[in-house]
Amino acid sequence: MAQVPLVTDPSIEFADPFDKAEHTQAEVASQWKLMWWKFKRHKMAVVGGIVVLMFYLVALFAEFVAPVHFTSYNETYVYAPPQEIHLLQNGRFSPYVFGYRFERDPASFKKTWFIDESVIIPVGFFVSGEPYKLWGFIPGNWHLFGSKNPEEPFYLLGADKSGRDVFSRIVYSSRISLTVGLAGVTISLLLGILIGGISGLVGGAVDNAIQRLIEILISVPTLPLWLALAAVVPLDWTPVKVYFMITVILSLIGWTGLARVVRSKFLALREEDFILAAILDGVPRSRLIFRHMIPSFLSHIIASVTLAIPGMILGETALSFLGLGLREPVVSWGVMLRETQKVTVLATYPWLLWPAAAVIIVVLALNFLGDGLRDAADPYQ
Amino acid sequence: MDLEREVEDMWKFLFRRTLAMLFTVWVVSIISFAVIQLPPGDYVTTLMSQMVSQGGRELTPEYAEQLRELYGLNESMYVQYGKWITNIIFKGQFGYSFVYKRDAVELITERMPMTFALSMSSFVLVWVIALPIGIYSAVRKYSIGDYIFTFLGFIGLAVPSFLLALILLFVSQKYLGQAMIGLFSQEFADAAWSWDKFVDMLKHLWIPTILIGLGGTAGLIRTMRANLLDELNKPYVETARAKGLSETRLLLKYPVRHALNPFVSTIGWTLPNLVAGEVIVAIVLNLPTSGPVLYRALQSQDMFVAAGFILLLSILTVIGTFISDLLLAVLDPRIRLR
Amino acid sequence: MSDTLIEVNDLKIHFFTDEGVVRAVDGVDLTIERGKTLCLVGESGCGKSVACRAFLQIVHSIGKIVSGEIIYHRRVDNNFEETIDIAQLNPKGRQIREIRGKEISMIFQEPMTSLSPMYTVGNQIMENILLHTNLSKEEARQLCVQLLDQVGIPQPHRLVDEYPFRLSGGMRQRAMIAMALSCNPTLLIADEPTTALDVTTQANILDLMRNIQKEYQMALLFITHDLGVVAEIADTVAVMYLGKIVESGDVDTIFNNPKHPYTQALLRSIPKISRTREKLDTIQGMVPNPYRRPGGCPFHPRCTQAMPECSTMVPSVTRFSDGHTTRCLLYENITTKQFAELS
Repeated sequence: MAQVPLVTDPSIEFADPFDKAEHTQAEVASQWKLMWWKFKRHKMAVVGGIVVLMFYLVALFAEFVAPVHFTSYNETYVYAPPQEIHLLQNGRFSPYVFGYRFERDPASFKKTWFIDESVIIPVGFFVSGEPYKLWGFIPGNWHLFGSKNPEEPFYLLGADKSGRDVFSRIVYSSRISLTVGLAGVTISLLLGILIGGISGLVGGAVDNAIQRLIEILISVPTLPLWLALAAVVPLDWTPVKVYFMITVILSLIGWTGLARVVRSKFLALREEDFILAAILDGVPRSRLIFRHMIPSFLSHIIASVTLAIPGMILGETALSFLGLGLREPVVSWGVMLRETQKVTVLATYPWLLWPAAAVIIVVLALNFLGDGLRDAADPYQ
Repeated sequence: MDLEREVEDMWKFLFRRTLAMLFTVWVVSIISFAVIQLPPGDYVTTLMSQMVSQGGRELTPEYAEQLRELYGLNESMYVQYGKWITNIIFKGQFGYSFVYKRDAVELITERMPMTFALSMSSFVLVWVIALPIGIYSAVRKYSIGDYIFTFLGFIGLAVPSFLLALILLFVSQKYLGQAMIGLFSQEFADAAWSWDKFVDMLKHLWIPTILIGLGGTAGLIRTMRANLLDELNKPYVETARAKGLSETRLLLKYPVRHALNPFVSTIGWTLPNLVAGEVIVAIVLNLPTSGPVLYRALQSQDMFVAAGFILLLSILTVIGTFISDLLLAVLDPRIRLR
Repeated sequence: MSDTLIEVNDLKIHFFTDEGVVRAVDGVDLTIERGKTLCLVGESGCGKSVACRAFLQIVHSIGKIVSGEIIYHRRVDNNFEETIDIAQLNPKGRQIREIRGKEISMIFQEPMTSLSPMYTVGNQIMENILLHTNLSKEEARQLCVQLLDQVGIPQPHRLVDEYPFRLSGGMRQRAMIAMALSCNPTLLIADEPTTALDVTTQANILDLMRNIQKEYQMALLFITHDLGVVAEIADTVAVMYLGKIVESGDVDTIFNNPKHPYTQALLRSIPKISRTREKLDTIQGMVPNPYRRPGGCPFHPRCTQAMPECSTMVPSVTRFSDGHTTRCLLYENITTKQFAELS
């Protein structure tokens, strides 16, 4: 277990010399510092936080991380299986993959792929390849890794039905899949703070009505409702509109949990002495809420938000998987997984399931992170 | 003792809760119906576009109008809702399925019992797994077992049931040579109900049951563990220990009993989750439950079927919550005797 | 046949936490006489609650009895006595469980939470009776009603089926006392039983405890930080500071002739009714951080009579007459000098 560092702050003078030894840093640290210390002790949460950060970085620099663009295709390599990276060549570090060879079934014209060990395709970091425009306006052609000769095939996680690189598509998908969660949570949070705040501050009949509404909304199973709402989205809408609609749909139900957290915090705070003191000092209402109340439960809100994101990500994945969410040409993990709905496809080309791994890892990491944040949100316990 | 007063209180409580439940059901019915009405156009427009895309003849506007007249699609939403809900309440009629060309109620009676069976069996499974593991994890806090269960629990939370179903499909197809789809073996699929068919169903039922239940289990283990950890350090536990009770008896009579109350109140959110999980797993595994029908109905604006299923699925969870409230009152004198 | 019921020798209980080891009880010696009242006095956090829980082996699981003994002289019948070292018993074993609630029982500080709200008062009292006697359920219930009556609960026939959360704090504490008495214990441990109650109720509960102690002829170990209570109830007093007994003796000696500077300071901090208004004395400073207790005499940072050697030398027990003992270098030097002169 990590020890709380026992350093006394020399700038603080204590009235009683006997007390000096008793005041550790813990007693003078700010709330946020205490939370950081507590969070750091939660190893899985720290790991989760790092993984989440990496996922969002990948999403941010998708053009650079992905070897090719998510729409790049090559009919030659339809359903090509994943290539294994070999690190050593003749005892020297020089990563490479083997090439492909296929046989065509004379009757069905179906390709059967083989790894051709006689062809060696060197791969490496920071190779120049397909040109791209980072965030749509910074041109470049450097990629984090890829085959040294852009003409040679490099399918780390295999290829899909159009010969597109599954790995690159997963990388680009993270943009949609990860931001749907953020956007949905933002809308939920605004709704939650507004409605939960009204409920907690006004109280009485209004509070009662809002609480009943929340209870009713919670009792409706989310998925059928999501399905019904998603079915509303017209097929001819632009991807941006659909994306926005999906986040709104996801947050229509997501806000209830956050509203409950906000309400209970407001209710608890109303009883606190420091709030009473502020009221007696004549602090105006708006200042009371934004300067005194919200900062004191911000940490809880952050933790709740982190724990709400995975639900949004899973919701989008489920909807897109069922064909009721985002659709091609937009690419998200759910959209990619839609191809695996046919059992025969799944059994023959199991690598199409890789997006599921991305979903699971990021949701797991967010859960660990949120759990650690929730524990740390109460540093005085 | 004041048995009479207690019974009277109980009746009052029951009455209040029943009223609240009926109100919830009413609001839910409005939501179900309104959601179905949201899409632009109606079944006839979907039908028309379908016929065009399939290269068929275009419907004449007159015929379309006739169809709308027939199904009452021209009337205002309030009137349609009024007709719909009165038919359900007084005649048990859920309207007509445009897609299946049958009474919606037939589809419902065909599919809902299986949904109910699946949701219930996964609910039982979730409790049977989560309760003992939650207790174990709390009592042996920070033991290796606790860490393993906590980790598995997190994974259970992170893997949604439909992904699990996909993985299962892949594994079964790859290693067993046949995908585990459906609830019946081929020879029973269309057969009438018999004992053998029932046994056959049970053999298939456990897979979706586990798939649906697993995610919920993780959450419940964590709930039980946290509740019990709170209770373990309460003064009344010390009082009981100072009496000389054995640790097991003590644990079961006091902290576990106390921790059970918040656990029971989780029914309110586990049940909607289980039903949602059931719907999507059923779609992936193509089970003869409400999931695939609802899915198809939503895609083709088969509004009466969709509204009926959404209403019934929601009522299923409302009733679950109602039962959990009653159970809570029975379990906890503080709620009963307020 | 001795009159000693329990002898505690050099008891040490340490708490092993993430932040380090807390020596909650650090070498305690105590003697409890049959039928007498011993008051254990000290500020919050001095280890008095932990020490008394060791008598029942119900110290919190991160706390371990690391050394010392708790010798219990158990009277099997009128002319035979066996001794048991409670410190050696397995906390989950049968032997200590037979002692708990039957021979040594305990009441706690928080009457509001010490009873479970899930079961009736009667259920929780009868549980103790059924566990330790051969009485039938019906007989246990009768005894329970009788006990409730005895501790001054009105309408015991009705209240036996009442849930604790419908009783007032005072009534709950009475029910706790009834529970503790139910098997005629030889020792009743009361851990600040009146602290959480209002003043009038405190007085009533204290009266009740004094009466039942006489009636039942049992020993009473009363833990408190309230010296007023001590004066009223104690036969002997032990003053505890940071895990050590710093002074002990009979109640008159302690109040009239306190030796240890801490005891003296404690006594000075009691408000007295006098003609002149004077500022109430307080003990300077705070109870130190349990993870970094001072070396030498634990009280030296707050002691007005501290000497240089107090910060390094751990004082040992100095015995005066009549079982009056203290741990303070002030007296140790005198007695060692005197001892040297004598020999």
